[in-house]
Amino acid sequence: MSGVHSTPLAIEARKLEIGYRGEHTDVTVLTGLDLEVETGQFVCILGPSGCGKSTLLRVVADLLVPLSGQISVLGETPHAIRGRRDVGFVFQDAALLPWRTVRENIRLPLAVGRHSLTREVADKTDELLAMMGLSAFADRHPHQLSGGQRQRVAIARALLGEPRVLLMDEPFGALDEITRDRLNDELLNLWRRTRTTILFVTHSIAEAVYLGERVVVLAANPGRLVADIDIRPVKDHGNRCLREDPAIIAKMAELRQALERAS
Amino acid sequence: MISRPLPVATRTFLPIFGVASILVAWQFLLPAAGVPAYIVPTPTAVARVFGKSGSLLLGNFWPTAIEALAGFFIGNLAAVALAVVFVHSRALQAAYFPVVLFFNTIPILALSPIIILIFGLGMTPKIVIAAIICFFPTLVNMIRGLDSASSNEHELFHILSATRWETFWRLRFPRSLPMLFASLRIASATAVIGAIVGEWIGSDKGLGALIIQATFNYQSDRLYAAIVLSSALSIILFTLVAFFERKLVRY
Ligand SMILES: Nc1ncnc2c1ncn2[C@@H]1O[C@H](COP(=O)(O)OP(=O)(O)O)[C@@H](O)[C@H]1O
Ligand SMILES: [Mg+2]
Repeated sequence: MSGVHSTPLAIEARKLEIGYRGEHTDVTVLTGLDLEVETGQFVCILGPSGCGKSTLLRVVADLLVPLSGQISVLGETPHAIRGRRDVGFVFQDAALLPWRTVRENIRLPLAVGRHSLTREVADKTDELLAMMGLSAFADRHPHQLSGGQRQRVAIARALLGEPRVLLMDEPFGALDEITRDRLNDELLNLWRRTRTTILFVTHSIAEAVYLGERVVVLAANPGRLVADIDIRPVKDHGNRCLREDPAIIAKMAELRQALERAS
Repeated sequence: MISRPLPVATRTFLPIFGVASILVAWQFLLPAAGVPAYIVPTPTAVARVFGKSGSLLLGNFWPTAIEALAGFFIGNLAAVALAVVFVHSRALQAAYFPVVLFFNTIPILALSPIIILIFGLGMTPKIVIAAIICFFPTLVNMIRGLDSASSNEHELFHILSATRWETFWRLRFPRSLPMLFASLRIASATAVIGAIVGEWIGSDKGLGALIIQATFNYQSDRLYAAIVLSSALSIILFTLVAFFERKLVRY
């Protein structure tokens, strides 16, 4: 997949240094990061906690300005892309507003900020509710939902503006395994249909291999990219695989080694 | 063992029984124990005052009610407004919050004569005292409430390019409501206390004045009736607050 790109890369980072600006010194979290993500790719970001996975997503989402280096999202700065609502974000804790119903939570992107979301997009709420299996819960409040349902609402909200890049920060990290597996499959179906670029942060090797076409491995102290592993060879064209396939298990071992070597 | 909730009928009956049993004991046991009526009049004696001097009681109820209600609104509104200013300007908060904190340490009883000196003998000083007494708890609670949205929630609004106003109106304010109402519940009682304290110091109208007069004239049945009315006023205010809380905070 090298050569001239007809469409801009979804994400392109060059010599990126990211971290937090302190009063006296800056705290670098990730250093010397080079990363290219093609549009439509499903990339998992794997690493131990504290290595800077969330910080990386925050930079892409324009929540944090890099210390140095370049980053572009869909060929533009994160700031420009945020203004156009081309990036959706899903938090680990769902971040639903408890005083809004499920429907109102999904429609929050229409209620705030300057946006060019059309009536068509706005009228998609029912479609999104149906797609995420939430139609029966549209008028409930978040506290009346299970953890898995709350996360579905968060995903539906992120999808409302039909973002071209979807950032997900350990969205299923707090769920039980059965719910997590089901939501993994739903997310894969969604991705196959929309081919939205997805950056999915996880600290689960199994989840990373099952979901991603590609797994980027980060390590801590100093935070850096230590491996970039292609999963497509052991999956079919729809990025499908069986969890217990020996080739998949071999990939998981490869990732585990990469993580161990780095620490 | 998991305790099962009581049946509805029992749950309504028991409090009524509880109150009634205490009233009966008060009516018969206290006089039998030799407690003189000028210290603790019987419930029936207090009830008779409502029949005999109903218009006197009501005439003194309204000024206190108006003062407490006006003080409640003014004090809480001012507190909410200042909290909004403070959370949007940390510099102003840093500069003036300590001043507010200092004022809060002055006992309201010490402050009241000054307020009466300034505002005279009408209703205004009582409203001011009721307002001041409501002000500080609501200010502190409202600041905390407006700051209680999580960083994820703020980041969500940032990603959606929400304006400051939208972040206030759609995130900070609804987030603050549970804490605001927590202090409004408290204020529903303290506003009445403020009005009555104001009336003690300088007034010939209101439940506070009635309490003082009745005490000096040994009209203890009238004194107790005034106390019952004061607490009824607090309960009415509290019920109003609880009503709006249930309407507005449904989560
Ligand atoms: N607001 C912040 N200010 C300073 N340091 C932070 C801040 N947020 C996170 N960090 C630090 O950055 C590092 C990476 O954090 P994070 O990106 O959340 O890790 P991960 O998501 O991989 O678990 C951690 O060491 C953390 O202490
Ligand atoms: Mg994280």
